[in-house]
Amino acid sequence: MSQNTDVILDVEKVTKTFGGLVAVNDVSMQIRRGEIFAVIGPNGAGKTTFFNLITGIYKPDRGSIRFDGEDITGKDPAWIAARGMARTFQNIRLFGAMTALENVMVARHVHTKTSYADALLHTPRYHREEKKALERSMELLEYMQLGHRAQELAKNLPYGEQRRLEIARALALEPRLLLLDEPAAGMNPQETEELQEQIVKVRDDLGITIVLIEHDMKLVMSISERIAVLDYGKKLLEGTPKEVQNDPRVIEAYLGRGAVEGAQ
Amino acid sequence: MFEVLISLLPSVLLEGLILGFVYAMIALGYTMVYGVLELINFAHSEIFMSGAVAGAETFILLKGTIANPYLLLLVAIIIGGAVAAFVSVSVERLAYRPLRKRGTTNRLVPLITAIGASFFLQDLVRLIEGLWNNAFYRRYPTFDAFERTYNLPVWLGDIVIILSLFTFFFAIVYLIYWVGVRLARAKQKRPTRNTLYALSGLSILFTVLFSLKYREVLTTDMGLSIQMKSLLVIVVSLAMLFGLNWLVNKTKLGVAIRAVAQDAQTASLMGINPDVIISRTFLIGGFLGGVAGVLFGLLYTLVHPYVGFIPGIKAFTAAVLGGIGNITGAAVGGLVLGMLEMLGGTYLTFLTNGAMGTEYKDILAFVILILILLFRPQGILGQQVGEKV
Repeated sequence: MSQNTDVILDVEKVTKTFGGLVAVNDVSMQIRRGEIFAVIGPNGAGKTTFFNLITGIYKPDRGSIRFDGEDITGKDPAWIAARGMARTFQNIRLFGAMTALENVMVARHVHTKTSYADALLHTPRYHREEKKALERSMELLEYMQLGHRAQELAKNLPYGEQRRLEIARALALEPRLLLLDEPAAGMNPQETEELQEQIVKVRDDLGITIVLIEHDMKLVMSISERIAVLDYGKKLLEGTPKEVQNDPRVIEAYLGRGAVEGAQ
Repeated sequence: MFEVLISLLPSVLLEGLILGFVYAMIALGYTMVYGVLELINFAHSEIFMSGAVAGAETFILLKGTIANPYLLLLVAIIIGGAVAAFVSVSVERLAYRPLRKRGTTNRLVPLITAIGASFFLQDLVRLIEGLWNNAFYRRYPTFDAFERTYNLPVWLGDIVIILSLFTFFFAIVYLIYWVGVRLARAKQKRPTRNTLYALSGLSILFTVLFSLKYREVLTTDMGLSIQMKSLLVIVVSLAMLFGLNWLVNKTKLGVAIRAVAQDAQTASLMGINPDVIISRTFLIGGFLGGVAGVLFGLLYTLVHPYVGFIPGIKAFTAAVLGGIGNITGAAVGGLVLGMLEMLGGTYLTFLTNGAMGTEYKDILAFVILILILLFRPQGILGQQVGEKV
């Protein structure tokens, strides 16, 4: 369809079923370069499945996904990630037994150009690359205010810092597109506010396009430029925060049929 | 009799240590593969065997060409390791990966495949050796330089005796404490730091009293000696163990291996291809197994296609003993098992007045396996389940 270079992620009529359940049903979405885009919807609407389809964990039954002009439908997660798509998880999935720094280094893997022989022989290139990876990882930790935690095991960090570490790790991939799956889940209002600033900062500083799934409507409405609403696997509508807020279908999706009439 | 027991102790423990290093190197292969795939790779004993046989062939072929035995050993280690690594990666590529891609969730399926691969490799090597040499029993040539015996200083033997006495008393004291805690149904099951200090102090006291009382017996030292080839085994395996430790903890590949071991899917979303990392893991584990095979051949000279079974299953025991999935655990488990086995093999004869001979040492290893599985299935260093490598 559109080969507009302004579109970084072009999801077209994607469907995914599990047995009889249609988790994502004929969903199309176009994410523009540099925007903050939110995907909202009630629990079980298929939001996380949608992320899993984009990142390659699931293969879509039908439809196609293009990332920066390249067809990534049905490709391996590692392949897609290496091309610049990073994500965080609804339930934190850090490497608990590794230090914060090592967690970030994992995501530097694809950007560190050393071979086996380099590592075995300790060539200058090996030292240079390892040093670069280390420095860049430390920078990212500092950027997410986690510099002082570098040598601590990820599992020992407080909850809010674990969430931030997930973002730092995702940024280490040097992504063009960052998917955040409920980044504010379990955070208190204070932490959520800081996170909100951080997300905008990441977009502004690094020029990374951000797609987020979030239940915290205050956060969603204040930072996203466009919002898509999913319900029962289908895209209900798409629009600016104002449009979405005032649409009766959205309230209906969250509160059930009849809620709008009842309120009036 | 008591004098004999004591005076034999240092050399028995040394022999056990040497055997333990071989076990440790094989055990690393089991434990690394288990770390990334949660699969017990029973074909690993044949990977070890292929390294041993390749090493033997290298020695036999190049004996005339390379005069320096040390250089020859180095070449044999590299070739044995490389052959074993190749076999290891091939087994993963041809047997395990297709199952993984098919999404087989039943864990018995890869396990049985591993046993199948093991039989296949035994007979494949037998076939190749049969076609090539018309015989599949191969002998490592002996070299004077390797057979030479060096005497170790007497005080080293004394230290070994003192340390073993301490370990022995500590084991007994700890066992009593452990049973006591269980019987008392105390809430605090793990000993605190102070309890450990108290137990150690008690053991030191026993050691000192015992040493003073039996001073004459303890100093009847028969002299501790070591063969060059045993020394080489220790040196090579120490180098390998430290090298692996460095690789896993300090390199980018090591970080990737640990990431895949903890959560392969998340690792893949960070741009790491789990298949590549799994393949590398098999490569490293196979290489270590192959080197262990060459060292084994150097020590015991005779190798054949079925030589891997017993060392393999003992190394597996060692991996379980140390806590499967834990690299340091595998090394510790190997050393402990090697020493216990040597102790058992030597002393059973004395203790049972000859009724049970050295041949029971294999049984001892498996008794240990059963006891570990019954009482501490997570192994010596294994902590909670779910934390691997």
